[in-house]
Amino acid sequence: MIPLLGLLAGIVLGIMLEPSIPQILQPYLPIAIVAAMDALFGAFRAYLEGTFTDRVFVVSFISNVLIAAAIVYVGDQIGVGSQLATAVVVVLGIRIFTNAAAIRRALFHA
Amino acid sequence: MPDEPRIDDQTQAPPVRRRRPRGRSQGAASRRVSSLRRSQRRLASEDHPTAGAAEDAASAARPTNRTKGAAEVANSTRARLLASLLHPGRGQILAAIILFIVGAASVMQVRINATDDTYASARREDLIQLLDGLSAESRRLEGEITQLEQTRSNLQSGADTQRVARSEAERHLIELSILAGTAPAEGRGIRMRIADPNAAIDSGVLLDAVEEMRDAGAEVIEVNNTIRVVGSTWFGSDDRGLVIDGKPVTRPITLEVIGEPHSLEEAARFRGGIVSEITGPKIGGQVQIEQEDRVVIESLHASRENQYARPAPPQQTPR
Repeated sequence: MIPLLGLLAGIVLGIMLEPSIPQILQPYLPIAIVAAMDALFGAFRAYLEGTFTDRVFVVSFISNVLIAAAIVYVGDQIGVGSQLATAVVVVLGIRIFTNAAAIRRALFHA
Repeated sequence: MPDEPRIDDQTQAPPVRRRRPRGRSQGAASRRVSSLRRSQRRLASEDHPTAGAAEDAASAARPTNRTKGAAEVANSTRARLLASLLHPGRGQILAAIILFIVGAASVMQVRINATDDTYASARREDLIQLLDGLSAESRRLEGEITQLEQTRSNLQSGADTQRVARSEAERHLIELSILAGTAPAEGRGIRMRIADPNAAIDSGVLLDAVEEMRDAGAEVIEVNNTIRVVGSTWFGSDDRGLVIDGKPVTRPITLEVIGEPHSLEEAARFRGGIVSEITGPKIGGQVQIEQEDRVVIESLHASRENQYARPAPPQQTPR
């Protein structure tokens, strides 16, 4: 319940305050969001399986986001930024789907 | 992993059970038996979850979930969800914070995407490509503009040239039709009445009179209000008497001339000129000249097609 409230508060604040991030970071925001979604799904899966640890969650969330952004940044520096971004999104998408399947099995046993 | 020991138990338990009576005295066997007892207890606890949980809660909690029926699993998961809803822990607070961040970032990203959708998050090479395309397009359009402007100025100057040429041609036409006698004319001039009671004026005298008038700058000449004198006009005489262009000339003869009146009159009256010739003893006529502000000449010369003469191609001007 509290995490959902946090999500809602974040969305509402984002809509109302219209915060802006630095221009330099803008290309990495979508990748970071995808990585964050992967971490969130993984955390929910771990929670349903009873192996959830908040420390692991926080560390994995931050490291996922940072690594995803860093990969794209490095890709930008060496000229394969868009390809690496695609690669990161594909890998994270696969992981999100795997986690979602596990969550589905844990919740509905189907 | 909680699965593995359970699988081992199931595969190894039956043979060991059969050998149990013989291996009781050996140390290894006794160790085995004790481990088997433990696994037996675990199996028993799976059959009776409440007793097993009390006995070995830490190790048995997860395996029970796996082996129970689907409904019970779902029930226990939901119960755990409910419990966590009722008693939030540190993990939930952290998750809330992180979800807050993610939510805010997502909204931000969606807003960025919605406001300036393509260009803000586009990469440098994409932007360069876009710019290239745009500048090529603008070059093409500028070329088109130049071409169209040139066409427009061409058409305008063409229209101007055409207009000028047409007005020039119309002016020429008017001049030439006056000269050729195919158009009526009016203007300042003189009216000369020649009385010829003896009918002594012949074509030569009349031609002299016309020549004098032309010499004095006559532009249009008319005889007797009916005969227009033009370039091809001829003067002669036949049995009817004096004829101009085949038309008989009745007396008294009236010459209407458009031109500068004073010079025309002077040209007629100078000593030895046409007036003195007519009023002389040889002819014995009278001449009366009036200067007019407005002489109207309405008789026309019927021009006919040239039968032989054709326009020659213009000669190249020698350099």
